[in-house]
Amino acid sequence: MADLELMDRGYGAIMRRIVTTAEAPHFTELAAELDIEIAEARDLIHDLVGVTPGWTHPGTDYLASFPPFNLQPTQYRVTIDGEQRWYAQCGFEAMAIRWLVPGQEVRIDAPCLCCGEPISVTLHDEDLIVIDPPEAVGYTASQVGGDAASRPFR
Amino acid sequence: MNLFRSEEHARRWIQYDETMASSLKSVAEWATIFSNPIFRERGRSDYLSWTRSDAGVAAYAALRASLPQPQV
Repeated sequence: MADLELMDRGYGAIMRRIVTTAEAPHFTELAAELDIEIAEARDLIHDLVGVTPGWTHPGTDYLASFPPFNLQPTQYRVTIDGEQRWYAQCGFEAMAIRWLVPGQEVRIDAPCLCCGEPISVTLHDEDLIVIDPPEAVGYTASQVGGDAASRPFR
Repeated sequence: MNLFRSEEHARRWIQYDETMASSLKSVAEWATIFSNPIFRERGRSDYLSWTRSDAGVAAYAALRASLPQPQV
């Protein structure tokens, strides 16, 4: 595992890139930004997804999920200050995106998994501005963060 | 970890599991849980180091305590 200082730099570089562009850097780009060897950057991506908790596409070094964002489209479309370019890892993480874009409005649009009808939630910093429909709920059939024995924040 | 238009809709979901009924919460309640410092501090340049600090460990503990557990 990479040292903590490098983990911090790598985490910050990936998160900034996703917030700015809705895309994750390839490990060759990460290597250039962090001024490290390419192989080290590739390993760093795997180290980071193990603690975030995110994941790479199976069998590859491509970032697929880096919470609160998903690089692969999900049903949770995220609009930041009027621009829909992002996807959330899940319906709950969607509500944490606002902390990465202070002062900006975050809108989450998703279909209900039961009926396919729309759900919309708009947040702005501390404020929950719109919940449509107002009786919308969150639910998970699995434990948040995965099993207690394996989640990073056990 | 999904959103539904109402509690009834969640209970009709094909993957609904009654043992996790405690996770059925309003959007506002989930928004509060995901306001824990673990989520708020993600923009820090030293975020992963911070998660290992006293403040980060305390935030993790508070988050764990707020998460629904399966009812067996």
